[in-house]
Amino acid sequence: MIQPEELVGEEWAAWYRLSPAERWTQSEHLWQIYFRLGGSLETEPDTQSPFFDPREPSARTANGRPGMRVLRRSRV
Amino acid sequence: MGGQACVFYGAAEFSRDTDLAILASSENFARLNKTLTDLDAQVIAVPPFEARYLRKGHAVHFRCQHAEARGMRIDVMTKMRGVDSFPKLWTRRTTVSVQDSTIELMSLPDLVQAKKTQRDKDWPMVRRLVEVNYFANRENPTREQIRFWFLELRTPELLMELVLERGGLSPQLFRKRPLLRIAQAKNESLLADALLEEEKRERAADRQYWTPLKKELEMLRHARVSQLKR
Repeated sequence: MIQPEELVGEEWAAWYRLSPAERWTQSEHLWQIYFRLGGSLETEPDTQSPFFDPREPSARTANGRPGMRVLRRSRV
Repeated sequence: MGGQACVFYGAAEFSRDTDLAILASSENFARLNKTLTDLDAQVIAVPPFEARYLRKGHAVHFRCQHAEARGMRIDVMTKMRGVDSFPKLWTRRTTVSVQDSTIELMSLPDLVQAKKTQRDKDWPMVRRLVEVNYFANRENPTREQIRFWFLELRTPELLMELVLERGGLSPQLFRKRPLLRIAQAKNESLLADALLEEEKRERAADRQYWTPLKKELEMLRHARVSQLKR
């Protein structure tokens, strides 16, 4: 029988092996980290969505919430 | 490096909105309205929150302003392409209890149908949704699960394993999904091509479904802009 690792690698296989309740808990944990890092609730622009409107103003701040600031970046 | 960096640069995200599928009844709209008021949710973009748009297949988009949910996006819809009507979805739903709340989730087969869209990002999701279910249940599956895998697995290796382990496919299954014959013939590369073709057909069907709805959205946007200019 094919094992998940052969198809999706160790990291995804470990996620697959969690129970739904464990995945839910892990997801909540990720949310907390995301907010601590200054993550924003604003969704990314989804250009392939039928609802996408390039003229729609976004409530998003440049770098998420004030908790995150870009200190250095490349020119790209 | 990796996942977090992809999130930072905007190529990867995890879901930050809540999609609500509801029954299009006046009672339900009243209940939803009350909840949206509690959340101080305001409609963003078009269409407006009216039953006639939801019944046509549009989604209505809200952003919450309540202190405990500030910025949270909610999308409300009553029908989705290729997905059964709400009463059928409701009978098949999954109910989960989280702390003191009960959450009703769309069943896995219904979610897989709903995810067959024109967007690139939905297709790896469809594949993983079925893979997880297959790996978790393949040792002791129900008949319904086996049928679901035959119809929805998108991983060539697993489809071939399934056909080998659970052969004896009915003609009806072959009719519904002709590429099962290729899985039976164990031709992995041809099977991968056929799966890609299957995906392309679904994406084209989704684009076609949305063409008139997108036109209507564009007209609503123009009308809104004209109204704002007045």
